[in-house]
Amino acid sequence: MRKAYLGEFEELVLLTTAILNGEAYGVSVAKELKKLSGRSVSIAAVHISLHRLLDKGLVNSHMGGATMSRGGRRKRIFTVTVAGKHILQEIHDTRNQMWEMLPKTSFNLEPGFKD
Amino acid sequence: MNHYHKSPQPPKWATTLLEWRCPDELLEEIGGDLQELFEEQVEEIGEKQARKEYMLAVLRYLQPFAFKHQPKIYPSTNYTTMFQNYITVALRHLKRNRVFSIINISGLSLGLACCMLIFLYTKDEVSYDRFHDNNPNIYRITKKFIKPGNSSESKDSNTGYLQGPIFASGVPEIQSFVRFQSHRRDIKLGNDINSQEVFLTDPDFFSVFTFPLLAGNPKTALQEPPSVVISEDMARKHFGSTDVVGKTLLLKDSYDSNSQFEPYAVTGVARKSPQNSSIKFDVLLPIIVKNDEIANKENWFNSFLNTFVVLQSGADIKSVEATMDRVYQADAKEGMRIIAERFGMKDKTVYALQPFTDMHLNKELPAQNGLVDSSNPMFSYILSGIALFILLIACINFINLTVARSLKRAKEIGVRKVIGGDRTHLMIQFLGESFVLCFIAFVLAILLVQLALPTFNQLSNKALALSYLFDAKLVLGYIGLFLITGLLAGFYPAVVLSSYNPVQTLYSRFKLSGKNYLQKILVILQFSLASFLIMGTLTIYSQFNYLTTRELGYDDKNVIGISKSNLTPKEAQLFRQELLKNPAFVEVAPKNGGNWYTIAKINGDIQINFKYETVDQAYLPLFNIPIVQGRNFSADFPADSTQSVLVNETFVKKAEWKDPIGQEVNFWYDNNQKYKVIGVVKDHHFEALNTEIKPQLFTMKPSNGYGMAFIKIKPGTETSSLNHLEKTYKQLFPINPYSYEFKSEENLKAYEAEAKWKQIILFGTVLTIFISCIGLFGLATLSAERRTKEIGIRKVLGASVTSIVQLLTWDFLKLVSFSFLFAFPAAWYAMQQWLQNYPYQVDIKDWAFILTAGVVILVAFFTVSFQSIKAARINPAKNLRSE
Repeated sequence: MRKAYLGEFEELVLLTTAILNGEAYGVSVAKELKKLSGRSVSIAAVHISLHRLLDKGLVNSHMGGATMSRGGRRKRIFTVTVAGKHILQEIHDTRNQMWEMLPKTSFNLEPGFKD
Repeated sequence: MNHYHKSPQPPKWATTLLEWRCPDELLEEIGGDLQELFEEQVEEIGEKQARKEYMLAVLRYLQPFAFKHQPKIYPSTNYTTMFQNYITVALRHLKRNRVFSIINISGLSLGLACCMLIFLYTKDEVSYDRFHDNNPNIYRITKKFIKPGNSSESKDSNTGYLQGPIFASGVPEIQSFVRFQSHRRDIKLGNDINSQEVFLTDPDFFSVFTFPLLAGNPKTALQEPPSVVISEDMARKHFGSTDVVGKTLLLKDSYDSNSQFEPYAVTGVARKSPQNSSIKFDVLLPIIVKNDEIANKENWFNSFLNTFVVLQSGADIKSVEATMDRVYQADAKEGMRIIAERFGMKDKTVYALQPFTDMHLNKELPAQNGLVDSSNPMFSYILSGIALFILLIACINFINLTVARSLKRAKEIGVRKVIGGDRTHLMIQFLGESFVLCFIAFVLAILLVQLALPTFNQLSNKALALSYLFDAKLVLGYIGLFLITGLLAGFYPAVVLSSYNPVQTLYSRFKLSGKNYLQKILVILQFSLASFLIMGTLTIYSQFNYLTTRELGYDDKNVIGISKSNLTPKEAQLFRQELLKNPAFVEVAPKNGGNWYTIAKINGDIQINFKYETVDQAYLPLFNIPIVQGRNFSADFPADSTQSVLVNETFVKKAEWKDPIGQEVNFWYDNNQKYKVIGVVKDHHFEALNTEIKPQLFTMKPSNGYGMAFIKIKPGTETSSLNHLEKTYKQLFPINPYSYEFKSEENLKAYEAEAKWKQIILFGTVLTIFISCIGLFGLATLSAERRTKEIGIRKVLGASVTSIVQLLTWDFLKLVSFSFLFAFPAAWYAMQQWLQNYPYQVDIKDWAFILTAGVVILVAFFTVSFQSIKAARINPAKNLRSE
């Protein structure tokens, strides 16, 4: 299987989509990202990433229900596909391996460091 | 959308922008997300900040790379079928709604035709004298007079013999000069003698101006007197061909009675002067100035011709004018001294240059002294205004009718939208329809212009031809006109129609929401324009009427004028005796030919420019001009013919005389000889009424000689008198050309321009009203159609036909009446401006406003009531049957 390349931001969006588990749509992903990573995220960037992921076949989408707060417009709900899960897994594994290889003296960090 | 509470909304333009740029399949989610975010942020950071964020977000979406290669979520619409369908539908609509198509097409084509004609006209006006290769370096020498103390300035463009040669030799930038003087020659052909205007000019004429010669050498044609260059028309008339170089023409100076017919060799035949030329000549002669004329420095102040100069390319006008001033001050010193001493001329003269191409439309320094066709730019403005009015009104018709009629098309629009036509497509469709219509109108307009050109040429004194149409700029202009008209007419309806909500249109009967203010405003605008033009026409008519019927202060009825150069007092006396033998003749009065003006000094310091007439005792009685003080010339006082003068009341006013009789006048024409005033003549309009009464002075000096005579006859004897007059004239003056003109007809000629413009403006006004009314007719038809049910119910409930007609017409009449509020002040102001052109003007009458209002309301009423009566008389059972 060809290694799909994921940009860092795309990866974050994909992860967030996975975390939100069926509740992921533009606004919710942006909010979640902001909460988790602490950076301000433009809704446009999130959208564009989501649609790129859609193109790459890493997420699926379907139109969800309409709500009053959206002026009666429906949401597009994104869910992670099998391929998406694979990629996330792969990335996670690669990172882990690399962390393992860090010489302990280089800097005082524990693997699994959390901000 | 949610209408029930006013929650803060994101900026509308941003949303619109997003809707326009964003792929349709994404619009819902993105719009929704943005909305959701916005509403949250309103809570968090306040509405203002949230709006800002919203805009920024939208702008981020607009990045070109934001959405690339989208997978198509919806299947694509079938464009080609759609467009074919549009065209079919457009043509079908045109065919089906005959009345509206005719209203729109006729209105638009009339409007376009008017605009095209005016384009032609103004193009011709601004193209005057631009065909010379030496432009823009050709200038005319003009003068400015500055009164002592810089109190006032006047300008003129007259120069004399000296200016050309002296400036050309003293100012390095001046490369060549050409003097152009109008003169008259009697031309002999067999036994026929015709008096003809000829032009005297310098040898450089053909190198300065671009007038191609069909035969002859332009460099030498005017070098060797006695030579003559004639036009091709003249050559054909006299010799029957244009190949006539070397033939001779017999000419005689019309102004000099001692001259004989002399042979002139034809050295060139010029092509007919272009119609947009201020110089139009049939006969050109080399100008001959005697040496003592050049030596006499007083001739700096003797001006009667045009002098043109050619400057080096890129010469600085200001510095050339400064050099000219130095040259003049140095050369004319002696002349100035003599003039100041003898006549108290204290005006300072400053010479200036006027671009040749600037002359045609210049009111201050017009084309004169033999230059023709000087034109008032005001007429270009008036015409353009009318043409634009007409076109605008036609476009308004289109807009109103299309929008009003669209109710019937609402279902079509709804269906299209449901099937998947989006707004842009609908806009394109409706614009396309308006362009189709516009195109038909455009083709018709070209035909109309063809038809109207001969009449228009006659009215505007031009020789415009459709070949003018093949000028690149004009063609571009016309294409632009077509596009602008199409857009102007089609854009608004397209926007309105494409915005209909399909659900509403397909469900039950659809009504235009709102009060339709735009339609009302447009109708008001239309009728404002129409009323404005009617007012204008009335004013122009009454002013014209006033000009032609105002008391001139003399009686011009039954008076014939004949010209006879150098009529001596003796000949005049003989002529009078001969004529008065016939009882049909009442009186004969000789007068100097042409217009003579000169300057007099009064009490040493008042300087008066006045018209200087040479007459005898018969002149004033013949015209019934009263003497208000003193007496007329009389044969009983022999001194009258040498030292007495009469002056008019204006002269007395200017001279500030308390008691004019016996006052002394000494004037320039007769080196310092003093004259005594013996009588004051009542002011009368000896010139056309578009000029003010000037000071006038009469003498009886026999040495001046006469140039014409007025003959008063008994009414009803015209034919026999004219025969007798011609016989007597030919008997007494066999070598003079005989021509006569009735004074009253000559007076009317002064207003020919006004008469023609009056007709053009009247025509424009009629068109405007016509187009406004067919528009109103269409609207009335629609409104009656829309209210058929209402009318039916009203009738069933017992309303009379009259009350229904009232109901339907009242709406429109309200609008029409409302238009007067705007039209009248504007018309009043514009007319005041126009009347400023006339020293003797009518007041704008109250009745003109009332008449205008009456006419407009009546015409509108008839237009609307025609439809209303039809609608009101329908049997209500018919239109209430279905629903």
